[in-house]
Amino acid sequence: VLTDSIPAAAVAAAAHLAWPLVVALAWIGGEIGRRWRVPRISVYALVGFACGATQLGLLPATGGGGSSVMLVNIAFGLILFEFGYRVNLRWFVTNPWLAATGLLEALLTFAAVYLIARWGGASTLSALLLASLAMPTSPASVMLVINEQRCSGQVTERIVHLAAMNCVLTVFAFNAIVGFWTFETSGRLGLAISSSAVVLVVSAGLGALFGLGVPALLRRLGHASHDSTVAFTIAIVLLVGIALALRYSPLLATLTFGIVARHRRITLNQAQRNFGALGDLLAVLLFTYVAATIEWPRVAAGLWLGLALIGARLAAKVLGVAALSRASGISWRKGALTGLGMMPISVFVILLLEHTRFLGIDLVDHLAPLAAATLLLEIAAPLATQLALRLAGETHEPRSS
Amino acid sequence: MALEAFATSDSLTLGVELELQLVSLSDFDLVDASPDMLELLGRRSFPGNVVPEITESMIEVSTGIHTRHSGLLAQLHEIRDALVSAGDMLNVGVCGGGTHPFQEWSQRKIFSKPRFKEVSALYGYLAKQFTIFGQHVHIGCRSGDEALFLLHSLNRYVPHFIALSASSPFVQRHDTLFNSARLNSVFAFPLSGRAPFTLRWTDFENDYFAQMERTGVVTSMKDFYWDIRPKPEFGTIELRVCDTPLTVDRAAALACYLQALCSYLLDKGEPPPAESDYLIYNYNRFQACRFGLDGTLVHPKTYEALPLREDILATLRRIEPHAEALGASPALNHVYQGAHSGSDASFLRRQFDESGSAEGIVDAAIRAFRSSRGHRRLPP
Repeated sequence: VLTDSIPAAAVAAAAHLAWPLVVALAWIGGEIGRRWRVPRISVYALVGFACGATQLGLLPATGGGGSSVMLVNIAFGLILFEFGYRVNLRWFVTNPWLAATGLLEALLTFAAVYLIARWGGASTLSALLLASLAMPTSPASVMLVINEQRCSGQVTERIVHLAAMNCVLTVFAFNAIVGFWTFETSGRLGLAISSSAVVLVVSAGLGALFGLGVPALLRRLGHASHDSTVAFTIAIVLLVGIALALRYSPLLATLTFGIVARHRRITLNQAQRNFGALGDLLAVLLFTYVAATIEWPRVAAGLWLGLALIGARLAAKVLGVAALSRASGISWRKGALTGLGMMPISVFVILLLEHTRFLGIDLVDHLAPLAAATLLLEIAAPLATQLALRLAGETHEPRSS
Repeated sequence: MALEAFATSDSLTLGVELELQLVSLSDFDLVDASPDMLELLGRRSFPGNVVPEITESMIEVSTGIHTRHSGLLAQLHEIRDALVSAGDMLNVGVCGGGTHPFQEWSQRKIFSKPRFKEVSALYGYLAKQFTIFGQHVHIGCRSGDEALFLLHSLNRYVPHFIALSASSPFVQRHDTLFNSARLNSVFAFPLSGRAPFTLRWTDFENDYFAQMERTGVVTSMKDFYWDIRPKPEFGTIELRVCDTPLTVDRAAALACYLQALCSYLLDKGEPPPAESDYLIYNYNRFQACRFGLDGTLVHPKTYEALPLREDILATLRRIEPHAEALGASPALNHVYQGAHSGSDASFLRRQFDESGSAEGIVDAAIRAFRSSRGHRRLPP
């Protein structure tokens, strides 16, 4: 709207400036927010959304084109790698109640959101998609809040492990539904399968390959006991590049990479948690970018249903995790706090949706309530996670007097 | 508040306290898990005693009072099994070792309890650096005089216990070249080191402790961080130089080695202790910390240079009859094997070489703690 009356040269200049300016604004906002104990990522999302194409219009509608999609996927890949690195798969075996908790929580969320969506008038397919996309807890939001507050304890550990579980369940549920839909609409079974099962298997396989190969290479180079942050960053960039080029899921690939690398006991030392300065930088980009893709008209259209969806999702998570908390070895209170801490949604969902665009399906149009829920949760949910962790006494006191 | 009277215990009874590491099984770093562990352990009766320690990534367990090695070992096994199964529920690995090889002290959180908060306020970063893990052994004494006699007679044997238990070669991801780097952290405290030389309890009580109390520096025996200190309310002396070994089997063996040694000393097997014995005390202690079993001691009376390992083997032979009478022969056997096969510190160094990472060390320590028969053969 604004650009119509401005000469072409100025438009080109503005295009160059848009992202640097927004990132700078978001960062300053984040640091100011810290003073009131607002998680930085909430502010990044707020700034990103405000500057989005359909809002202030500072950012172009495409979100910056190909190179920024790559950057955002790398940013998310770094976080997912670290996230996967913190997951101990064996815990689900030694404490089966934890696995049961994860399953119960995800199923309850799915059922609750499906019913709400149907009640709100969504078609069966839309409701199924909404339900599957409401299941996951955003690993990125959770990791960034945990790292920002240097959290440690049961609620922290359980949020991470249950989030990993519901993300994997989502990938499967979502792809199954999309595959089913592709088959229904195109009648081509081959396409349906390639759009779901193959994507999952190859993506995870790629990640596993890196998880085995990179540590082995590092040991060959005599690097294992040194700082291997740069090596892992390069590996993740390469993995994301390969996954995008071949149209597989960079998310699943980097997550698998992290999980496999961890079980190979390769070092990612503490100073480099969150990939240090690089991780901090890319987080600003990631959260502003994702929020900038959300369009206000869609949010407005789906607002009430979105709110109902958030409520149902929260209730399902809190109840689902709390129900089995005693059996799985923690108090009711910590169980409920774990459920509360699992509120963040979004980055994962948005990228999953972006990914389906490759298939020539634009699901975003069908899912307006999700846009509203995503926006609200992007901004508010990190606060919930932080609150849960603080009430559980697992945050680090800023400075002991 | 004056020092309480020295309670009478049966001679040569013993009890063990172990400070253990709580490690996240996700990334092998220390984790602030003691509140959650205590909550879970509190649901059923614990085969011993379990309490929090100064930072939330530590937990302290203690046994009841024992007279024989077999009973002590059985209880330690039960305690270990209870800890391991609680840890499994919470994704927490429990392990020995005097230091965690890569924890960062600045990340530690002081357990919420008034005394810990006071200590933290007084000592600043020393308190958080005190996230180190030791074994304490109590030996019952019939009187305060007997306690002081044993305490000082043991001075020349302190390096044995340091070398045999040494399990803290790594600090902040680096090999310190020490076998017990943990004791260097203890030494930073102003009231650490050795107890003053007095052999009569009344002198200790009236001259030393009362005066120290008047200076305002101390209020109870807890303020002393000595290598061996009397514990009047228990009627014991408490040996505090040991790193927590990687297995409870070694912890029991060390405790009963001490028990047999005390029996031998009470039998007046050696010339009485003297102030001059302490001339070379710190030097011998350093040798044991730095070189472990390969260190060299100076005999406090003859000034003869003694390889530490051989001094241990000779001591084992001398106290054999006492161990037999106490039922502690299996303990001596364990110590004998340990003196030959190397300390936990050398085991940890091998793990570092094999796995190539500090995480690999912690992983091996966790598996060693779980396994019942020492750590020569690890389960896969």
